[in-house]
Amino acid sequence: MSDAAHPARGPGDRLTAHFWRRPKLLTLLLLLPPLLWLGVVYIGSLAALLLQSFYSIDPFSGLVVPEFTLKTYGELLIPSNFDIIVRTVAMAAAVTLAAAILGFPIAFFAARYAKGRWKAVFYLGIMLPLWSSYLVKVYAWKLILAKEGIITWAAEGIGAGNLLNAVLALPVIGGNSLSTSYIGTFLVFLYVWLPYMILPMQASLERVPTSMLEASADLGASNWRTLRSVILPLALPGVVAGSIFTFSLTLGDYIIPQIVGSSRFFIGQAVYSLQGTAGNIPLAAAFAVVPIAIMLVYLTIARKMGAFDAL
Amino acid sequence: MHSDARPPLALTLAAIGGLLFLHLPIVLIFLYAFTTEDRSYQFPPPGLTTEWFAVAWNREDIWPPLYLSLRVAALSSGLALVLGTLCAAAMARARFFGRDTISLLVVLPIALPGIITGMSLRSAFAIGDIPFSTFTIVLGHATFCIVIVYNNAVARFRRLGASMLEASADLGANSFQTFRHVILPNLGSALLAGGMLAFALSFDEVIVTTFTAGQQSTLPIWMLNELVRPRQRPVTNVVAIVVFVATFLPILAAYYLTRGAEETAGGGK
Amino acid sequence: MTPAVEFQSVSRHFGAVKAVDRVDLTIAEGSFFAMLGPSGSGKTTCLRLISGFEMPTSGAVRIFGEDMGMVPPNRRHVNTVFQDYALFPHMNVRDNVAYGLMVKGVDRRSREARAEEMLSLVKLDGFGGRKPAQLSGGQRQRVALARALVNEPRVLLLDEPLGALDLKLREAMQDELKSLQQRLGITFVFVTHDQGEALSMADRVAVFNEGRVAQVGTPSEIYERPATRFVADFVGSSNVLAPEVTEAFGGPRAWASLRPEAIRLVSGGRVRGTVTGTRYLGAGTRLEVRAGALPGPPSGEHDGGIAVLVPAGAAVPAVGAEVALDWDAAALHVMGDGA
Repeated sequence: MSDAAHPARGPGDRLTAHFWRRPKLLTLLLLLPPLLWLGVVYIGSLAALLLQSFYSIDPFSGLVVPEFTLKTYGELLIPSNFDIIVRTVAMAAAVTLAAAILGFPIAFFAARYAKGRWKAVFYLGIMLPLWSSYLVKVYAWKLILAKEGIITWAAEGIGAGNLLNAVLALPVIGGNSLSTSYIGTFLVFLYVWLPYMILPMQASLERVPTSMLEASADLGASNWRTLRSVILPLALPGVVAGSIFTFSLTLGDYIIPQIVGSSRFFIGQAVYSLQGTAGNIPLAAAFAVVPIAIMLVYLTIARKMGAFDAL
Repeated sequence: MHSDARPPLALTLAAIGGLLFLHLPIVLIFLYAFTTEDRSYQFPPPGLTTEWFAVAWNREDIWPPLYLSLRVAALSSGLALVLGTLCAAAMARARFFGRDTISLLVVLPIALPGIITGMSLRSAFAIGDIPFSTFTIVLGHATFCIVIVYNNAVARFRRLGASMLEASADLGANSFQTFRHVILPNLGSALLAGGMLAFALSFDEVIVTTFTAGQQSTLPIWMLNELVRPRQRPVTNVVAIVVFVATFLPILAAYYLTRGAEETAGGGK
Repeated sequence: MTPAVEFQSVSRHFGAVKAVDRVDLTIAEGSFFAMLGPSGSGKTTCLRLISGFEMPTSGAVRIFGEDMGMVPPNRRHVNTVFQDYALFPHMNVRDNVAYGLMVKGVDRRSREARAEEMLSLVKLDGFGGRKPAQLSGGQRQRVALARALVNEPRVLLLDEPLGALDLKLREAMQDELKSLQQRLGITFVFVTHDQGEALSMADRVAVFNEGRVAQVGTPSEIYERPATRFVADFVGSSNVLAPEVTEAFGGPRAWASLRPEAIRLVSGGRVRGTVTGTRYLGAGTRLEVRAGALPGPPSGEHDGGIAVLVPAGAAVPAVGAEVALDWDAAALHVMGDGA
């Protein structure tokens, strides 16, 4: 043995030396499997989606014609298809807005006032609904909104049955029962995506230093004034970050409107039925590109507003 | 407004009301599993019974979807564990060109709506003439599970720090010994948490699955069919409880495994 | 005698940044060697070149005459005490210390016995069963020391070993490290940005600046005869005199340094000036004196002023007082270059 170095003992040492001399090689070897997977399976599939959306379907044989055309995208502009897009975007906007309003008190309370045990309660209280089974959550609302369900029972119990009927009699958003109306669809969307809004909002509120609130109060601002001029502007990046989720998830969902709502389609349902029973994969693909395009625009705006720091 | 002041009553009520809004619907599922009424969702239930658990147990159409879901979740979370850990290890090793692109690539499958991942895979299968199988389902699930494992592992690597690995090498350990004696014991609980969350996510997934399953039925797809065309409603309730518990337990376990660390699991669903 | 460590025109570049730039260095066996410099001066990178966590972009690092170009860190007969100690959080103190023996394949009984010996060497008998999280900062540092010494390295590297300790503990540890090094007779190489630490502990000091070695020498050489303006300014806080000023002060026309403690207040000295500020330091009082009729302000940390140290007990003139300054001709140290 020399004074300076131990001899290599076995293949483990020799491999170690090998990678020590070429550190980049090891990094590359580690990255290769996940990058291959995501590159081939995911990016490859996205490319396939784009490719399909530029194909069209032969109206007589019903077979896909693998030739480049913009005809399929043109079909999106047909009123019946365009209505689907407008309806979906309107719903996504409504859900996002409501989630921001409903989520704010929870996020604010959790970020400012919850301490110790209550902090954990709030953390789990938001995290568990976020992670628990999506389908079970949707199903729970099917039970709640059913004509014979708990809401009708409660409304009649407090003598508000007529009010419920009056709401259901409203044009467009009303319906036969809550579970077949847009109100029902909206409520379920709101319920399922709400935690996605609360978490980033809470994160950005936690970053507002307490001293800043005290400074505002010190300067004579009322609570409302502090809320409006200090807290809300500082929470905005979190709200925008949360809205990325609520907006994107609503745009792409097809289970909720299928189970709770009127029979009118949302983008997701259009994609699902077109690729399935109708066998029109090109049009389904073109429909699926719509949420991607909308989200790209949305993300560009959100980035400008600094929402990514709150993620 | 002072931070140590008591919260305004209206805020407290709104916050507690919000939490109740998030939790009460799930409680209702448990109630409905015991109802004697099997043709409607009548509330309050006319009577309570435990017979539906036995009925569900004996229903032969439930077991194959359950097995398929378990198989898919096990395979997907296993694959995601390997791929997500490798990716996190590479990212922890060095700053290199394209890091941001790689982290975007990992997050994308879960950031874009499931219908896009689903429809993309469906398009690829159509172009490649790939027949539906367990493998096609796993392909989709593993893709969006990678990010869950990755997020957990990357945070733990960050906490472990480079000097710990250097100390091990400095004391004479080769890379394999460092992995065995330093990385694995420190990364273990984060990987377990990530794996369990990935399992829960896969077990419950329905949107991507409907595009990649063809005629196969996972438990969520079975449930979806029952929701669209109900047969014995309380049986569906029993299955819903099973699905809920099968996702709830790993999530709770993951929370306790990573509690106290600054990276509590689940932030990145 | 073969030097313990030798740098032969070693450079380490990170992209366009020359962290270490053509460094030549010889560290004699058995010496206590300090690498001193501000952050970003390349001293830590040099330490990592010895341990093997950095590879030279060009040049050669030799340990006992052997080129380390192909030898990875785990095979070098060199151990490190890390700045953050880098103790393994999942192992108790005994397993931490025995780690180097474990990976070598030493059986459990002998390695635990050896670990206990090392713990008693650093005065931590009976702490073997604790987890690192249950120790104080000073105790963790001792564990890190014991862990690095268990492999009986010929060279021990210490990266800012006392940086995280409070003042009292730091002074006690300085003495202890020094006596440990003398007892073990092995080479210690330590990195620090604290000039007091370097001067009091090391037998030789290398002062780093912008990736290069500005000066190597004994502590007194470094302190009394700084080779460059940078060394004069960084080690202690000397008056650095521009060539014109040196000339006016009776020296040649060259950059020079003049220690504040070498200047005396007299009734009729070489230079007259006005006291513009005083700072009480306990062991003395530091005066700011603005000398009149100088060709240009001396470039030191006190722009335009000369620092004078009045020893404790002597009369301290008030701000605004006229004073005359004098010094021994030998105290005016002319430096080799203006860098």
